[in-house]
Amino acid sequence: MAETLQTPTRAEKRQARRLRRFDNPWLNPKLIWGVALLLGILLLGLIGRMLWNLDLVFTGSATLKLPPVGFENLRKQEGVWDFPLGTDGSGRDMLALIIIGAPNSLFVGLLASLIGMSTGIVLGFTAGFVGGRTDDVIRVLSDVMITIPPLLILVVFQASFGDVSLTMMALLIAGFVWQSPTRLIRAQVLSMKQSGYVQMARLSGASTGHIMFREMMPNLVPYLFGSFIANVTTSIVTAVGLEVLGLGPQRIPTLGRTIYEAINAGALIQNLWWWWGIPTLLLAVMFVGLLLINLGLDEVSNPRLRKLS
Amino acid sequence: MLDDTETVLTLTDLCIEFPTPRGLVQAVKDLNLSIARGRRVGFIGESGSGKTTTALSVMQMLAKPGRVSGGQIDLGGTDVLAQGEEEMRRLRLSRVAYIPQGAMNSLNPIMRIEPQLWDAILAHEPGVSRPDLKARSDAALVSVGLPVHAGRLYPHELSGGMKQRVCIALGIILTPELIIADEPTSALDVVTQRQVMQTLKEIQEKIGSGLILIGHDMGLMAQSVDELAVLKDGELVEHGSVAQIITAPEHPYTRDLISSVPVVGGASFLNPERRAEAPKRDSSEPLLRFEGVSKVYGDVTALRPLSFTLEGEVPQIISIVGQSGSGKSTMGSIMLGFNPPTTGRVLFEGQDLATMSAAASLDFRKNVQAVFQDPYACFNPFYRVNHALKFPFKRFGLSEGEAHTQKAMEEACVAVGLDPDLVLTRYPHQLSGGQRQRLIVARALMLSPKLLIADEPVSMVDASLRATILANIYDLKDKHGISILYITHDLATAYHVSDYVMVLYKGQVVEAGPPKSVIGDPQHPYTQLLIASIPWPDLNRPWGEGGAEDPGVQEAPTIHRGDVAGFDLVKG
Repeated sequence: MAETLQTPTRAEKRQARRLRRFDNPWLNPKLIWGVALLLGILLLGLIGRMLWNLDLVFTGSATLKLPPVGFENLRKQEGVWDFPLGTDGSGRDMLALIIIGAPNSLFVGLLASLIGMSTGIVLGFTAGFVGGRTDDVIRVLSDVMITIPPLLILVVFQASFGDVSLTMMALLIAGFVWQSPTRLIRAQVLSMKQSGYVQMARLSGASTGHIMFREMMPNLVPYLFGSFIANVTTSIVTAVGLEVLGLGPQRIPTLGRTIYEAINAGALIQNLWWWWGIPTLLLAVMFVGLLLINLGLDEVSNPRLRKLS
Repeated sequence: MLDDTETVLTLTDLCIEFPTPRGLVQAVKDLNLSIARGRRVGFIGESGSGKTTTALSVMQMLAKPGRVSGGQIDLGGTDVLAQGEEEMRRLRLSRVAYIPQGAMNSLNPIMRIEPQLWDAILAHEPGVSRPDLKARSDAALVSVGLPVHAGRLYPHELSGGMKQRVCIALGIILTPELIIADEPTSALDVVTQRQVMQTLKEIQEKIGSGLILIGHDMGLMAQSVDELAVLKDGELVEHGSVAQIITAPEHPYTRDLISSVPVVGGASFLNPERRAEAPKRDSSEPLLRFEGVSKVYGDVTALRPLSFTLEGEVPQIISIVGQSGSGKSTMGSIMLGFNPPTTGRVLFEGQDLATMSAAASLDFRKNVQAVFQDPYACFNPFYRVNHALKFPFKRFGLSEGEAHTQKAMEEACVAVGLDPDLVLTRYPHQLSGGQRQRLIVARALMLSPKLLIADEPVSMVDASLRATILANIYDLKDKHGISILYITHDLATAYHVSDYVMVLYKGQVVEAGPPKSVIGDPQHPYTQLLIASIPWPDLNRPWGEGGAEDPGVQEAPTIHRGDVAGFDLVKG
């Protein structure tokens, strides 16, 4: 008995860790892992730019279809350290492609989601607060937009635009990710308007701005974060979808475009797995990271979940 | 039939625990109790005392991660804890039935009543034929005092009282040995509460089962059960027959529970001797004036035209009493300017609320404050609770700097009996309902308004704390000279705190005057009905008899029972 008091048992250690986590919710393992994964992709982009020769993304700068180091391709060629992740069908270095492509894909997702979110916040608050006709218009618009499959419209758009820039693509995708935050925020604002603390704030002589941004907004943060991260995921999926169809930016390497080229060149049949496999893996890492951040943030912002963690 | 002394439920050394991040919480500790066939046992205690937990453990329906850590539960010879999931499913409803607290949410909203009753039968006795089912569900509905055609209706077509009756019918349809009723009437008003309790008692006597009634209202318990089990912090502190516990309570906690029930005409829990002067007012206009104010929502008249003047020279408490739907809360929100009246004008110190300038509006907000019913919703969950006190204090320009605000908050907390170091820096979810409601009172105190609208301030607070919070509110008038409009359904508290009472029925004042006359000696049939429906913790007082509302109630004219200086209700 005395011994167990001095050296904490495993259960007690776990208990102490739980308490620490309760007191500082940001020490959430899911959140930390998620952020670490995304930071890893960003760092790959940043450090890669400093250390690696980016001219290798150009066609024909290396031997064609070289495998990663330690593997052999169908022509019995060994991977070489000059191109550690191998090369694609037109002799571009995979590592250089990823260093440029992966942050690009993330950038499109973040930008599209940011624009969509901002639109959603403005429209949602307007609809919830102003009500009446304005509310009707915004609600009908977002309901209609939700029923339209974005990829279908985007394919037409992209095809007619020809070559687009990354920012242009983000803007186009943003046009399809503002509806769900709008509806979500509108619903929350409507229910919060009736809540006791908003009534109390009105009793306290609070201005509309104060009620919106100081009383309601902080309580929306968990929803906003969740919605933002979910939107980043959707935007990346949409962007990659377009790129894989060959409708993305033509001159800028992205993960989706690399996959498109791999499929086009018959990489699946020729067993050039590194060509399509590595970008796919990176996309998977990105999605897992985003998912973990979403789950983690949920626990951070919701004290009830936090208690159980 | 079975012998009366047979026990249906025996709890032996029952222990229930909940593992939490902060360690094990003992929800129930070494509880010993047995319930005989045909007996009604009341479990009384505050929220968190373990009364519902105990009852749920009998059905193995404890919320995860709670578990029975020791002891035995014997249900008429069956060891409940040894039963598997499937056996337990068969046991529930057929041998032990549970009538939940919120009948509103317990019925499937997209199914008619009848099939919901049939489902209950079929789950236990598969293959019962359709005519049999129909006959049994009709019988069950009739036995709880509902017409047979109610079975063809959807839950939303029934009133709260009727839904609660359906839940009772569902509970007794398989004639269980034990019925557990978890605060079955807490969502109902007094008149309906009496009818539903009568039904429950009748049906329980008819089928001869044991009944566990969970609640926190000593009056209701005294009128409804045979035995009382008083629980505090998971421990059974006292158990005995109702008569014994009401007349000679042994445990100090039981005594507190009994004395916390306010009784009309009984000793006051307040100290009415001290009188404060009203704060000096710049305006000679009356504080609040209603001029033919009415409110209509679509086809429903929430409030009929009403005119009164509250002078506010001497602080007064005006009570507005009525059942839910009487228009009393509508009146409160009209006074606060949250809800514009359909006709008429509301004047605060001579200024119409509808046409106030922004500056006057801010001044009005400072001078008219409120305490709402739900202490759980009143705090923004994002901020520490001091935000709710600090913000209006600064907003109304009362603050002379950070230190002054802090001092004012601490003083206000002390005045309502809270330790400022303990509560002010907490988040709302870390405080109890009672603590939060006191903080709202402290907030009102800090702002020292001229008028406070208290809308059911204690109806969601544990019974034992009600008197304290009402005393806090009373102090606002007494020590700080704030006039108060007290909106409530509880006539007993209105009797004690108010200077003038208005009884509201379907948007109309039916009886008004000083509380000693209106509540002490009611003349209007509706007021009489309300008062007869209050369950008193007094065994000699008849409560069981008495029916529904008399159809003549609404036709009877308004009865004025005398005037009080400073408040003038226009007779019309």
